[in-house]
Amino acid sequence: MSNQAQLLPGTLDLLILRAVSLGPLHGYGILLRIGQISGNALLIEQGALYPGLFRLVRQGLLKASWGTSENNRRAKFYELTSAGRKRLREETANWNRLVSAIGSALGAQPEEV
Amino acid sequence: MKVLNSLRFRMATLFHRSQMNAEMEEELRSHIQHRADDLERSGLPRAEAERRARIEFGGHVRYKDESREAAGGTLIESLLEDVTFAVRQMRRSPGFALTAVLILTLGIAANVIVFGVVQALVLRQLDLPHADRVMTLQPKNGGPFLSYPEVRDVRDQNSVFSAVAAFEVQDFGLEANGVTRPVWGCEVSGQYSEVVGIKPFLGRLLNRADDDHPGASDAAVLSWSGWNSDFGADPNIVGKTVRIDKHPYTIVGVTPEGFYGTEKIGVSDICVPMANEASLDGVNWLDSRSYKNLFSIVRIKDGVTLPQVQAELDTIAARIAQQHPKEEEGLALKVARPGLIGDFIGGPVRGFLAGVMALAGIVLLAACANIGSLFAARTADRAREIAIRLAIGSSRWRILRQVVVEAVMISILGGACACALAWMALTGLASWQPPSRFNFKFQVLPQPSLILIAFLISVVAGVLFGVMPLRQIFKTDPNATIKSGGSQSSAVRRWALRDVLLAAQIALCCVTVTAAFVSLRGLGKALTMDLGFNTKNVLRTQFDLNQAGYNVDAAADHFQRQLLERVSQIPGVEAVGYANTTPLAFDAGVAAVFPQQTVDFRPSSTAFDTYYYDVSPGYLTASGTRLLEGRDVSFSDTPKTPPVAIVNQEFARRLFHSEHAVGHYFKNRSGVSIQVVGIMADGKHFTLSEDPQPAAFFPISQKADTKTTLIVRTQRDTADMVAAIRKVVSDLDRAVPIRESGPWSSQLALNLFPSQVATVALGVFGAFGLLLSIAGTFGLASYTVSKRLREMSIRVALGAQAKQILSAALGRMLILLGSGSAVGILLGVAASRLLSAIVYQASAHDPFVLAAVACTAVLTGLLSVAGPVKRALHADPATLLREQ
Repeated sequence: MSNQAQLLPGTLDLLILRAVSLGPLHGYGILLRIGQISGNALLIEQGALYPGLFRLVRQGLLKASWGTSENNRRAKFYELTSAGRKRLREETANWNRLVSAIGSALGAQPEEV
Repeated sequence: MKVLNSLRFRMATLFHRSQMNAEMEEELRSHIQHRADDLERSGLPRAEAERRARIEFGGHVRYKDESREAAGGTLIESLLEDVTFAVRQMRRSPGFALTAVLILTLGIAANVIVFGVVQALVLRQLDLPHADRVMTLQPKNGGPFLSYPEVRDVRDQNSVFSAVAAFEVQDFGLEANGVTRPVWGCEVSGQYSEVVGIKPFLGRLLNRADDDHPGASDAAVLSWSGWNSDFGADPNIVGKTVRIDKHPYTIVGVTPEGFYGTEKIGVSDICVPMANEASLDGVNWLDSRSYKNLFSIVRIKDGVTLPQVQAELDTIAARIAQQHPKEEEGLALKVARPGLIGDFIGGPVRGFLAGVMALAGIVLLAACANIGSLFAARTADRAREIAIRLAIGSSRWRILRQVVVEAVMISILGGACACALAWMALTGLASWQPPSRFNFKFQVLPQPSLILIAFLISVVAGVLFGVMPLRQIFKTDPNATIKSGGSQSSAVRRWALRDVLLAAQIALCCVTVTAAFVSLRGLGKALTMDLGFNTKNVLRTQFDLNQAGYNVDAAADHFQRQLLERVSQIPGVEAVGYANTTPLAFDAGVAAVFPQQTVDFRPSSTAFDTYYYDVSPGYLTASGTRLLEGRDVSFSDTPKTPPVAIVNQEFARRLFHSEHAVGHYFKNRSGVSIQVVGIMADGKHFTLSEDPQPAAFFPISQKADTKTTLIVRTQRDTADMVAAIRKVVSDLDRAVPIRESGPWSSQLALNLFPSQVATVALGVFGAFGLLLSIAGTFGLASYTVSKRLREMSIRVALGAQAKQILSAALGRMLILLGSGSAVGILLGVAASRLLSAIVYQASAHDPFVLAAVACTAVLTGLLSVAGPVKRALHADPATLLREQ
């Protein structure tokens, strides 16, 4: 537990989009997928997922439909819309820019300044 | 676990609320099930797996709330939830809710009723097509009346009005189906229908041709109410003939329902052309510039602005003044908002209503302060609950919202009750007639828009007192509060918002109490003041012989003298006399008085205007008017003997600079010298609040009049005596329609009416203010005592004296009461200046008033802290300490 990192504000939406981009998923499945693709390194309280999901649906980035899960239970499945796909691309690019900027800032040596 | 259970309960109650809610619920449950499946696969028993899954899921309610907000459009739903919560809160403390609703009902009702009256009398336009173009034309200075030639000149010379009309309200003897009854009628000039611009309900309205010249037409138009009350809404009325003051008229039309003329306070039954006035009024004033008796109403052309109208009126008035310097010198005209006789009574009425509106606002503010401090106290009690809710993830805004929703709900409940109350009050007011021979009718029927106003006031009031606990909620520190067991130890010594609120509330209530006492005192003075005559055991009977076909000639004089003789023979009659009218009846003549040496009779050489009455011998005795010097009028004063008059002290002082003026002379407008033969005491002539006015009595035998007011002083005023007098009148001539007959004192009710209205209105506000301050002080005092009972009992146990306990418990209370009352009385004194316009001799500097207000404040304070003080003093330390 202790080696899990707190999510930065705003990054949950990006993670959800990324998880869903790999194929339609229900809420719990999204959580598992995030764990899987992040190597279980991120701490997400389970319930916190849902406000994000509803927000993304409202923004038209995700669409939802009811179906049956692999456990044979009724569940709501989410998939990306085309707007969602576009947003994911933009956000990923943004994120990469941010990471490299912060990274180079933090990695700067005294003689480089 | 308990928290979870209550959360599940809440989930259950919310479950059916909507499709979306249900889906959201199912989705979250599905999530937990999936998680439980996984946990079960890892070896846990199913029940334990589900429990773990729920715990791992986290703050269920919070996430659901957030999800709902994230999904958008669910504000209403979360509001609904708040409403449910508020209802539960109210059910838990019904006493509090009931008190709050009651206080608000009164506070809001006061505002809605006052607003209803303001809306009807001031804000609402006349119910006429393009009412914004209709204005009252009136002189810039003095009374509201114009002469016919003035109106005619404006009508013929202007380019800014599409129509100009004059009208006069007149009492008529209306004879239909063989019965003559006195009704209120209206003489209107030719363009009246064009000014008001309405369509007739039946037949046609009067037009220019009807008013072309005297006798041009015998057409008469009934009003809706006249048609209903006098003719039973006969659908075949058009074409029927009636007689007005013995002259035949043909009904040509009926005005529609809802048309009340252009004044909001009266309604007449029948309208006739003004050209015929000489035959109805007995005087031909159509060409007289000095006979000012008409109201004028105009319709402004489209596209013409008020400054343009004023410029044109200035030009016309200047021209009239130049052409007729003798009568019209200094004439100036203006237009004013119609409905309340222009600015004449409109001004004072608007002023008074603004004052009352302000008082109503103050009462509502005080009520809000009151309930606000109760709310704040209650929030302090709920500190622990609020802390727990903060701890489990509720946001402070959410808690505040719930408090505000509760407040607004209470206040909307109050508003709904207030609406019902106001509706009843206004309907009652609209159907009520003030005590008067005039047919006053207040067009104040409640409008649906009042509901909206009540709703708005409620919401504003609710938010106002709902946000008062704001600071408390936002500074609550969950940790500290839960640890300290919910009592805020720090609050004891600090001045809290509720203390300030209490002081403010006491101050506001003192204002209303002061206003109430001032007007009560004024009314008391008005009831006992010297009117200049004595109405005790005096009967007054009024009619106009003109309505029975008499002219101003020997026949009328003969009738009146016979009446005098016969009535004086009725057993029990002490004195009897008659006059054309009496003081305070609102129809006394006003005439210009000129010094004896005057030769040029233009307005600027007038000494002053005087009220005048034509009286018979014996009138002074019968009416109880004191003759100070000289002689009474006598029947030996005839048109052939030199003109004489009795004048009052004020008249003598103003003209002769001495009250001993018997034998002196003055002149009237026609240049006739009149000798003063008697001096009488000053009295009231138009309103009770007026300063001494000059007045003159002329012998009616020198100037006959068909208008007759019979004054009979009896040993006792009884209904028998009224019947006997009526019988004498009808024995002399059955056709004479008696306008009114009864005790003079009750006929003066209209004069007392403004002070009475003011006293009732202010009295209600005063009583309500008092109630509020008692409730507020009592509430806060008991709260303070109960909060500190434990501390105080420890002090008692340690040997503190009663005095110390008292000052500890209620010292601050007394400071609040004292300072609040002092500020309130000062404000009240300042505000009462406004009252003096309506209430006779209203003065807040009256020591009686100040003493009464101070006494009331002290008594109220003592009364409301007595209970809590007793409780504090009688607290038994042993019992109390054991209990806690």
